[in-house]
Amino acid sequence: MDVEAKRIMAVSIGKLYSLRTQRGGLRLHRSLLLSMTMRAARDIYHTAQLLRDAEEEQVVPCAPDAATEEPMEISKDSPQTLTPKEVAVKPQETLEEDKENRCASERHSRKRRGKTAVEPDFLPLKKAKMDTDEEKQHLQGEVLRTNNGNSCRQAETLSAFPTNRAIVAC
Amino acid sequence: MWSSCWTYSLNLSSVPGDGDGQSRWCLSQVKGAVDDDVAEADIISAVEFNHSGELLATGDRGGRIVIFQQEQESKNLPQCRAEYNVYSTFQSHEPEFDYLKSLEIEEKINKIRWLPQKNAAHFLLSTNDKTIKLWKISERDKRPEGYNLKEEDGRYRHPSSLTTLRVPVFQPMDLMVEASPRRVYANAHTYHINSISVNSDNETYLSADDLRINLWHLDFTDRSFNIVDIKPANMEELTEVITASEFHPLQCNTFVYGSSKGSVRLCDMRASALCDQHSKLFEEPEDPSTRSFFSEIISSISDVKFSHSGRYMMTRDYLTLKIWDLHMESRPVETYQVHGYLRSKLCSLYENDCIFDKFECCWRGDDSEVMTGSYNNFFRMFNRDAQRDSTLEASWENGSPGCPLKTWRVCTGSRRKRNEIGVDCLDFSRKILYTSWHPQDNIVALATVNNLYIFQEKPN
Repeated sequence: MDVEAKRIMAVSIGKLYSLRTQRGGLRLHRSLLLSMTMRAARDIYHTAQLLRDAEEEQVVPCAPDAATEEPMEISKDSPQTLTPKEVAVKPQETLEEDKENRCASERHSRKRRGKTAVEPDFLPLKKAKMDTDEEKQHLQGEVLRTNNGNSCRQAETLSAFPTNRAIVAC
Repeated sequence: MWSSCWTYSLNLSSVPGDGDGQSRWCLSQVKGAVDDDVAEADIISAVEFNHSGELLATGDRGGRIVIFQQEQESKNLPQCRAEYNVYSTFQSHEPEFDYLKSLEIEEKINKIRWLPQKNAAHFLLSTNDKTIKLWKISERDKRPEGYNLKEEDGRYRHPSSLTTLRVPVFQPMDLMVEASPRRVYANAHTYHINSISVNSDNETYLSADDLRINLWHLDFTDRSFNIVDIKPANMEELTEVITASEFHPLQCNTFVYGSSKGSVRLCDMRASALCDQHSKLFEEPEDPSTRSFFSEIISSISDVKFSHSGRYMMTRDYLTLKIWDLHMESRPVETYQVHGYLRSKLCSLYENDCIFDKFECCWRGDDSEVMTGSYNNFFRMFNRDAQRDSTLEASWENGSPGCPLKTWRVCTGSRRKRNEIGVDCLDFSRKILYTSWHPQDNIVALATVNNLYIFQEKPN
């Protein structure tokens, strides 16, 4: 579940970055939807991360409902089943943010790192460039890939990423 | 774009009735280039019949508008196809640059709306992201000849050769269709315009962007009234944007706007100058069992259309079409699944950006049927009276022209019957976003990526 959430987070961030170079200016509607999806995925990911940390350190779990998470499967026949409590809501956000600060461990520092720190590979380049590859993909054949039940690829460990607000005020 | 335009010539034989997997719809015409290499500028972005159905306007990403006119001869013959031919082509919008924000403004035509016809000329409103324009399309089939001071070619005559005085007379000439911009309504929108709608009073119209709706008078370009403003004081608190807006077809004080959260608000302009307080809120509670990461995205309203009667309203979100009775806000009276098989594919559709596609929808003239587009160049027809739906394909390759279209079925299993296709075989690059239904006849126009398809329903 958290692997899927991390993947969605990575995809969302990539899309948000590419929005800035799109012709016609920043699309408010699209960036709003992307940031909402990214936040939801981020919350799920953090919840799962905290759970894992708590289990490893044998402390009381931070998020009370996180234990009931189920993996999100993408299959042909069954729709995604997520109970409401599994999807992070806004009040939980502030709670978890506080817990992030309190539950910081040695291995997973949640402090924002300086520019010299290594950033995860999945983040797009910060250098502004005309990214036309994505648009070309839309015009050429786009066939939905089957994933045979494996909904995510192997992802690398997430160390830190900027959690600034994604919507640039127009 | 239309230099390589071609049209099917169809010989329609007697059409069988509704058989097994057959509809009563036939392909009438296809407009546009046939090659696979699609220029970005040629991608159609708007389709709209005028109020009589005689004219059909299309807009594209290159900022051009092409208007087709129905042939008068074939219109009156019952069994004949209604042939639409190019009537006028003009450049409506050009790319612009906002120097203050260092942003390019796309010339893509977002919406076209016709004004009801008052005289021989036709008027339409077209809009890109920032500017709305009023275009007058008029015919000229006569020109004055026999000037006193000028030769026929325009050269001025020598004064000494002027010995007589005559009155110029109008002589017939080859028909010329002129499109001229009569008004330019600019600089009123900070965000991207997504809708325009002409009021039933034929004097005003509204334009909507992500956060605001403005009311204009057609005659005045230097001012507009802001009637809806949902911009929060702090943009970080933004949770919802306006996605579509339309005036009521009969009540000039009423309009609706849809939001990215899946709700529709009906506002009454008599209540206050700023209609931030809605009169009605149409919202269906979300089904918790279907909640996912993408619930927000798929609930976003992509189009809202009143029925011709004004009694109902239709909304389109990513997976469904909903018909609402304006008297009941709690839930829609009818819900149609457009392509429910995509519900399990949302993650992939998010990755390839298809989940952000904005599909339009339209009503049949008598409000008995509704239509919307889907992927794989499929379009969906829902018969409200018979509670029957069909999936048809816009394709000039499959099937022979003139014959009734076969209905399709999308299945998830492995077995395939004829005219069945698996979900994983759908081509998501071929999509029908823009559709329009003739106001009186059963003729529909829809746009694939760069082709315009016209279908006609054959009577029994």
